[in-house]
Amino acid sequence: MATATELTAVRPKRMAAKKPHPMQDTLFQRYKPHLTAWDELFQQDLTPHDCGSVLVERLGNLHSAEFAARRASADLAFINQGITFSVYADTRGTEKIFPFDLIPRLVPASEWNKLEVGLVQRIRALNMFLDDVYHDQRILEEKVIPADLVLGSKGYRKEMIGFSPPAKQYIHVCGSDLIRDQNGQFLVLEDNGRTPSGVSYVLENRAVMKKVFPHLFQDCRVKRVEDYPQQLRSALESVATQNANDPPCVVVLSPGPYNSAYFEHSFLARHMGVELVLGPDLFVHEDIVYLKTTRGPQKVDVIYRRLDDDFLDPEVFRADSMLGVPGLFRAYRAGNVTLANAVGTGVADDKAVYPYVEAMIRFYLSEEPLLKNVPTYICARPDDLKYTLDHLGELVVKAVNESGGYGMLMGPYSTNVQRAEFATKLKADPRNYIAQPVVTLSTCPTWTEEGIAPRHVDLRPYIVSGTSTWVMPGGLTRTALVKGSLVVNSSQGGGSKDTWVIE
Amino acid sequence: MISRVAEHCYWLSRYLERAENTARILEVNQTLLLDFHLPVEQQWMPLLIISGIHEYKGEPTAEKIQEYMTWDVENPFSIASSLAWARENARIIREVISAEMWERMNFYHLWLKQLSTRELFDHQRGEFYAQIRRINQLIHGICDATMAHGEAWEFFHLGTHLERASQTARILDVRYHILLPKIEDVGTPVDNAHWVAILMSCSGYEPFHKRPRANQSDPAVAVAEFLILDDQFPRSVHHCLTACERSLAAISETEVGSSASEADRKLGQLVRWLDARDIADLIHDGLHESLTHVVDGIHEIGNAIHQTYFSGEVRPPTKPQSQARNQTQTQHQS
Repeated sequence: MATATELTAVRPKRMAAKKPHPMQDTLFQRYKPHLTAWDELFQQDLTPHDCGSVLVERLGNLHSAEFAARRASADLAFINQGITFSVYADTRGTEKIFPFDLIPRLVPASEWNKLEVGLVQRIRALNMFLDDVYHDQRILEEKVIPADLVLGSKGYRKEMIGFSPPAKQYIHVCGSDLIRDQNGQFLVLEDNGRTPSGVSYVLENRAVMKKVFPHLFQDCRVKRVEDYPQQLRSALESVATQNANDPPCVVVLSPGPYNSAYFEHSFLARHMGVELVLGPDLFVHEDIVYLKTTRGPQKVDVIYRRLDDDFLDPEVFRADSMLGVPGLFRAYRAGNVTLANAVGTGVADDKAVYPYVEAMIRFYLSEEPLLKNVPTYICARPDDLKYTLDHLGELVVKAVNESGGYGMLMGPYSTNVQRAEFATKLKADPRNYIAQPVVTLSTCPTWTEEGIAPRHVDLRPYIVSGTSTWVMPGGLTRTALVKGSLVVNSSQGGGSKDTWVIE
Repeated sequence: MISRVAEHCYWLSRYLERAENTARILEVNQTLLLDFHLPVEQQWMPLLIISGIHEYKGEPTAEKIQEYMTWDVENPFSIASSLAWARENARIIREVISAEMWERMNFYHLWLKQLSTRELFDHQRGEFYAQIRRINQLIHGICDATMAHGEAWEFFHLGTHLERASQTARILDVRYHILLPKIEDVGTPVDNAHWVAILMSCSGYEPFHKRPRANQSDPAVAVAEFLILDDQFPRSVHHCLTACERSLAAISETEVGSSASEADRKLGQLVRWLDARDIADLIHDGLHESLTHVVDGIHEIGNAIHQTYFSGEVRPPTKPQSQARNQTQTQHQS
């Protein structure tokens, strides 16, 4: 880790007479925005967007060396607090910090409010879609979405047919990934309706930013994100079953300390004030879920599970799962416990179903979608497949059930061999792929070894739904750290920024 | 609380306590016995026995044994291993312990990996061991001041005192045995520095001299009495075991001595066994034999705690008429 002293120590002995050394530059002095991407902080003429004027004025006065010192103190805060994720490839259980960039990404409240309404609309439609596909299947009968696409989805769970979760709520926590195109328009890149992660980083990033730049917050009028844990807890309690304790017993179910997101599971339990449990801490007796405590069994009412469907219950799903709870699904269907998110939500965030979300909104809500999708070619359609194969060099091809930047072909940056490989895969299993034009993601000024430079970002807001829906003002801004890279996933070396919704 | 979490609390404190004790005996050995030209079997090998290591394969030199007991992560009883396990237990239950406790534990975990820490060990070993001891002391201070004094805290204290009782008994046993191998030897002159070393190994030097005493007895008897039976010294076997009794009573929400569980019963038996004896009885029966009884008893208490609270063999809620014996385990809802 670079510390302030190290950085100042490398200052060269001879300084050029006319040019001050970069360390004495103010922060944005040498900033050159990306040629074509939308810049989140600056306009074309290098003046800040309205919402960013205070920030640019205040941060802009910092010399690079001062900024480096604050970076070092932020990194140290993350390391000392052990805010880390485990790296799977490393068998020694190495923990790494998620690279954090100190320059916040801003969204003006006027724009945020529109996003919020659009996200709520989208989540309503996705919930209605899930309720429909597990009950009447009207949307399939009316051929708005091809039935085979839905029923053949890996995320479709026939075990859920005919079952209604409490309050008919399926996606209690949704993390929809948004990107901004060259014209500054926000688009939805994908919906994460299974077990989206990352919210703990939003909250920890904010806490660290407040330590490092305490005065900036007062001056910039940033909306609070800190209510998330209480909002989540209230939402979970609101969908407790009829026979729940009062207040309901809510737990966070984690796959365990070796899961890469264990820190987050622990964080959420701590901040909600509920127990963090592992599968073996629970057992089911006569369709009731109990927690093994030092004073005997305690009935559990709501499980915020951070475990995939596959591992939840070895009696129903993967029989070799050591992480789940035998009988859990029986208890769920008997109406004795709430699972959040519900089982079977994967069908709604299947990348091949994603292109139909706009149609869902029209179908269920009779409204025009407020947020647009990225145009998508569905390789299950012969015409789209042909187009994709003919234009592999221009498109992003994604496997429909992968996440984290895995199983992806970035056409413009790919080699002939990679394209040939993907062509073979596409022809063998077209249902498994979609393709999208490469969207030049917006950029944000970001600290790099060469000074402050534009790096591409996306935005994952978190939408929490119980009997009502709440959108956290802000979200996780993920940033690619490599010049020109459009891949922002943490598993691929991306970092994050604090996201400020400015009133 | 969740059985598994209780177990992590209990082991978290046991590992911390173990690291502190190991640091203390290494430090004392290093500084106080330096002037005595004892054969290595008498000076350094006993440290391994105190920690329960009987199969040390390395060279029996002072330096190698210190290295092994301090840094070797293959040695489950080394300071590095104990602290790593303490931190891993803490990491798993960081939503249960206070954030300040976790941050300090994590801080020292990182500290131990720094090059400068290794240099401290190489050049200022006394200060290094002192720092290790302070880790546990600091975590305890933070724990008491920032964590709710509820069940998790009681399990934390239970682990500390059980480990401490066991360590004191072992230190006394091993040291004493070397100095005075046979009962008849009690009363023969042993250099005062050895008693000082035993007391220092248990942080008992000052309290020993400040204790109220009726008569000046043989130091061999007085030290043993102090470390086993003293009511006020926080590291005496008796004091630690009664602290365990209070924690267990608080955990089961009963009075001390009500034998609510197998763990309470085992613990009560050992405390009563000690209460029924004075130091003359213990020496008469053979101090080694007496201390072996204590160490074995503590081991059984540990097993009973595991069985009662951690094993996860929780039965479904029972109808009132059945399973009377298990009602303490199953009828309470927290």
